[in-house]
Amino acid sequence: MGYELNQTAGTMAPVCLFLFVALLVGRLPLAGSEEEEKTSSSSSSTSSSTTEGFLSSNCSQLSLKVDFSSKVVEHEYIVAFNGYFTSKARSHFISSALRSAEVANWRIVQRENPASDYPSDFEVVQIRQNARNSLLTLQDHPYIKRVTPQRKVFRTLKLLSVGGETSSSCNDTRWVQKWQSWQSSRPLRRTSLSLSSGFWHATGRHSSRRLLRAIPRHVAQILQADVLWQMGHTGSGVKVAVFDTGLSEKHPHFKNVKERTNWTNEKTLDDGLGHGTFVAGVIASMRECQGFAPDSELHIFRVFTNNQVSYTSWFLDAFNYAILKKIDVLNLSIGGPDFMDHPFVDKVWELTANRVIMVSAIGNDGPLYGTLNNPADQMDVIGVGGIDFEDNIARFSSRGMTTWELPGGYGRVKPDIVTYGSGVRGSGMKEGCRSLSGTSVASPVVAGAVTLLASTVLNRELVNPASMKQALIASARRLPGVNMFEQGHGKLDLLRAYQILNSYRPQASLSPSYIDLTECPYMWPYCSQPIYYGGMPTIVNVTILNGMGVTGRIVDKPIWQPYLPQNGDHIDVAVSYSPVLWPWAGYLGVSISVAKKAASWEGIAQGHVMLTVASPAENDSSVGEMTSTVKLPVKVKIIPTPPRSKRVLWDQYHNLRYPPGYFPRDNLRMKNDPLDWNGDHIHTNFRDMYQHLRSMGYFVEVLGSPITCFDASQYGTLLMVDSEEEYFPEEITKLRRDIDNGLSLIIFSDWYNTSVMRKVKFYDENTRQWWMPDTGGANIPALNDLISVWGMAFSDGLYEGDFTMADHDMYYASGCSIARFPEDGVVIAQTLKDQGLEVLKQETAVVDSVPVLGLYQTPSEGGGRIALYGDSNCIDDSHRQKDCFWLLDALLQYTSYGVTPPSLLHSQNKVTPPTGTDKPLPERLEGNHLYRYSKVLEAHLGDPKPRPLPACPHLSWAKPQPLNETAPSNLWKHQKLLSVDMDKVELPNVRAYRPQVRPLSPGESGAWDIPGGIMPGRYNQDVGQTIPVFAFLGAMVVLSFFVVQLTKSRSKPKRRKPRIKRPLYLQQQQQQQQQMTLHTGKTPTV
Amino acid sequence: MCLSGIQDLFTVFTFLLRPRWLRPIRGDNISLTEHLMYCVQEERPVHDRTLLQARESDHHIPWRVKFNLGNSSRQITQCRNSIQGKALLTDELGYVCERKDLLVNGCCNVNSPSSRQYICKSCLPNGCCSVYEYCVSCCLQPDKQPLLERFLNRAAEGFQNLFTAVEDHFELCLAKCRTSSQSVQHENTYRNPQAKYCYGESPPELLPI
Repeated sequence: MGYELNQTAGTMAPVCLFLFVALLVGRLPLAGSEEEEKTSSSSSSTSSSTTEGFLSSNCSQLSLKVDFSSKVVEHEYIVAFNGYFTSKARSHFISSALRSAEVANWRIVQRENPASDYPSDFEVVQIRQNARNSLLTLQDHPYIKRVTPQRKVFRTLKLLSVGGETSSSCNDTRWVQKWQSWQSSRPLRRTSLSLSSGFWHATGRHSSRRLLRAIPRHVAQILQADVLWQMGHTGSGVKVAVFDTGLSEKHPHFKNVKERTNWTNEKTLDDGLGHGTFVAGVIASMRECQGFAPDSELHIFRVFTNNQVSYTSWFLDAFNYAILKKIDVLNLSIGGPDFMDHPFVDKVWELTANRVIMVSAIGNDGPLYGTLNNPADQMDVIGVGGIDFEDNIARFSSRGMTTWELPGGYGRVKPDIVTYGSGVRGSGMKEGCRSLSGTSVASPVVAGAVTLLASTVLNRELVNPASMKQALIASARRLPGVNMFEQGHGKLDLLRAYQILNSYRPQASLSPSYIDLTECPYMWPYCSQPIYYGGMPTIVNVTILNGMGVTGRIVDKPIWQPYLPQNGDHIDVAVSYSPVLWPWAGYLGVSISVAKKAASWEGIAQGHVMLTVASPAENDSSVGEMTSTVKLPVKVKIIPTPPRSKRVLWDQYHNLRYPPGYFPRDNLRMKNDPLDWNGDHIHTNFRDMYQHLRSMGYFVEVLGSPITCFDASQYGTLLMVDSEEEYFPEEITKLRRDIDNGLSLIIFSDWYNTSVMRKVKFYDENTRQWWMPDTGGANIPALNDLISVWGMAFSDGLYEGDFTMADHDMYYASGCSIARFPEDGVVIAQTLKDQGLEVLKQETAVVDSVPVLGLYQTPSEGGGRIALYGDSNCIDDSHRQKDCFWLLDALLQYTSYGVTPPSLLHSQNKVTPPTGTDKPLPERLEGNHLYRYSKVLEAHLGDPKPRPLPACPHLSWAKPQPLNETAPSNLWKHQKLLSVDMDKVELPNVRAYRPQVRPLSPGESGAWDIPGGIMPGRYNQDVGQTIPVFAFLGAMVVLSFFVVQLTKSRSKPKRRKPRIKRPLYLQQQQQQQQQMTLHTGKTPTV
Repeated sequence: MCLSGIQDLFTVFTFLLRPRWLRPIRGDNISLTEHLMYCVQEERPVHDRTLLQARESDHHIPWRVKFNLGNSSRQITQCRNSIQGKALLTDELGYVCERKDLLVNGCCNVNSPSSRQYICKSCLPNGCCSVYEYCVSCCLQPDKQPLLERFLNRAAEGFQNLFTAVEDHFELCLAKCRTSSQSVQHENTYRNPQAKYCYGESPPELLPI
């Protein structure tokens, strides 16, 4: 509804914007009340979402249908406020509003529930007369957010039987895809990051309850860009580049398109897709759906064709042009998984080194973790994630961590910040506005904000990629209940960023700015597992941002200063860092381990790492070097070392992924995502499994080095899942010995079939070459080398299908079978489909009694146990159909405690262990290029050979310099940037639009009753220069401070504290908008 | 490049001949079209890519570069420099110096022992260097002017945007030495990861992956 309305409004005079918004907002409840006059049945709306997911064991398909229907309740309206107010205050607001509309016949519907004693942000009002006028008036009240018709919601859950399919056909119809070799290279390629057509205009479509929330929101105004516009800042003098699908020449929304260039093989400059126009509009549109910086100088770079094709080489040439043109801000609403595209990554570094502020979308591959897109995952780029208008992280927004550092290190925190990316309105391709969702949308919101911010700074020399990023992350508002790998530093706050940037002095800062391993959920996953003596060191990958210059270095070495009163001496800390901080940034790896003396101690230890960054002075009088010293507070929770049986070691070292090599997806059905690219780490795509193991009381550590590098006597079980890497001969020998001595081993394998591997090769359009996988889902020939000593082996069979095991529904997604198993072991077999045959010949065949699970107790005295399972998809978050954490639990019970689950032991599917002598074991694919990506193999004449075993990583612990001090209680609140004290920074000067201060005058008609206490004294700063005025103001400030404190404690729940300023801004906005209709002095023509 | 092998050709045929019902779901379909469209349209870009060597100089781009006269004694109060370097910088007079030897006016301190003018260190005979700053310095040598003019006269259309916007010798060298579409093979790999910054006419030597 809103969309249509808006299109008709497209030609309206810009100054009518406010009226238009008011009309729009006003129309919605009106629509409800008009419907109300009809029969109630016609105003009820039904929407349903059908979840396909219930597959009963006899395979008739059931689906769960959730139905909503809602009815408008006659004469009742929900009045939502901007904050939490007591019932008295709420009634006061409503009565004062309705008084002016001269409505008599109304009452507040009493809500008799325990919550009514507490402040609330809504009220239900019954209005029986002149509803239309009263609604409009209510809507105009500064404390009322919106007025919506009251609805009754009916929810029903239904299990539906889908179609009349017989049970035999359902397995075939479930997947209606046919096989051919994969041609799509889409996942490899950089793509523009808006969601596909299905998501366009998507908000509000899912249920009628959301309709009113889909009111088109002007994102620039929600972020209070108008406050800066009023001050005369509109982005002028800032060159902003949009790398996208182009822009048509005479688009009515843009007034300052400096240049359009085309870098594709299509001979046009125009946007045939709408993506680039939308992005440019969010940054710089001057009318309808306003952008942030209408006066900025727009440079349009067309680097995507209308079919969304693009190449690294096009980007390289276009980027060179951007450097030549001295672009200030560059938006890249694009991304791809290939962070090892060196020419591209180097070029992005080159751009930032030339002071181009790069803003990029973090990716639309959420909610899966480990899905960050390049270039947004780079330290020098501002990576932007998406939220909706209710401050939830958008489902599509990609999650951290970065996977560049695996297996030995740990990923960086990304995205950097988040902002609105769901249902945001921006320019339509030819004219008008549309809504779009995706991190593609969030990125230009930040790019526009950055452009606007840059134009507010007098000394532009101070604005550089690092200082801008520092200002954005120091000012961002943290979202409650969301971890840092989803929200980064929090939600963009334009005005606070403005304040910080305008009092900025060049300095270094850290991201994250502190390490508090006890803080949940923000510091997830660190907070999810305490540390203990003997565990693998916990690594935190901190980014150093250096606003002083494009290059910098760390002076001497960072020093570790434990706080003695806070047990800082109970931990050891080692640091590694970039030798040169370039461009504008570098890393600081902090490894934390528990000291031996705390082996059985429990408690909290604190200290800090201190470092000094130096940069050559730029354009300054000959100072030589500038320096900046930063402290990184560290706080950890230590527990006594858990028993061996509780400790699980995850083998990361033998997991390989794209990039650089083609490591195919473990589930062959997922053809539009052919690559295994999420890192295969317990904190990325095995996150659910990790959380599950933690909830079961296991402690999970990560082995980022060869098997020879850990003390097996510490661990109960070594967990190897979906391993693609080869094994050093020394590793095989060591593991054999470890298992004899009581270590247990669980392997979740995956498929490996050379014919299928040849079949799933594809032509990659980006690299313009054929891609042949270097392993299957897992590297079975290598795994077989590892386990052959126990008479075990996996086959090259490829199976798929649903089955039931120990009363659990299971789905086997492209797994292998067990080919050999010792005869005294337990083997479970299932009936599955031969997927290999299906892939190769498009034929369907069912195979009985495929051995999928094996359990074995090694014979030596005190020897460990081994469990094998042929498919890893059921514990992997990506493309998982059904989880099998129960199976992992059962296997861990077996390996850690020797308890064989009776459900498996007495299963009817138990079979005689296969001897597998009839069939040869799988061989490695001839001519594979695994050696190119392997840490184990190296090229050799003939077959690749193992390299010499590398030395195990050795950390050199920093020599502690103990301090006799204690840390502040809240590390998060500690100063994020030096010299910028948020409380002292001047607020934007909005004098001309200062809200009218009127006394409380209940009898006065038309006046809004504004609680006096919330009127801040500091807005009156410019009232005069004379001392009496200052004295008066001082007294007012003190007074208002107390009143604010009083109202806060009385009428607001504590968690709403940070929002206390919002009503003010909203109020200003509305007044500004009202004034804009009268005179358009300094404001951009909107 | 697109239809280079019989296999590729076969693939295209398969695309065209595959019955409609065999087509994958929407996402893949798009990319098939892309592939085809790309193949259809690639003829020209392929030519563009080799233009630097192939095409005769019948096509002049309207460059307006003013070259240095090689007179390094000219008075200059402010210098532009190459800005980006990790350790080194090249100023517009062709001096390469360490960042610490950069004067307030943006010029290299010529009195510093490490500052050198017109230095071609790390550059190969084909005009490709491993250090960007040396490439720029070498390119600024007055005797490189004929080479650069020849390049400008024969520059590919794909580079027209860039090189018509360049105003003088220094800007030309800054832009010419950068890695570009000429520097890569298979898009995501450098032709020569060691010597990738080229002031000369030819792209970096193609090394096997």
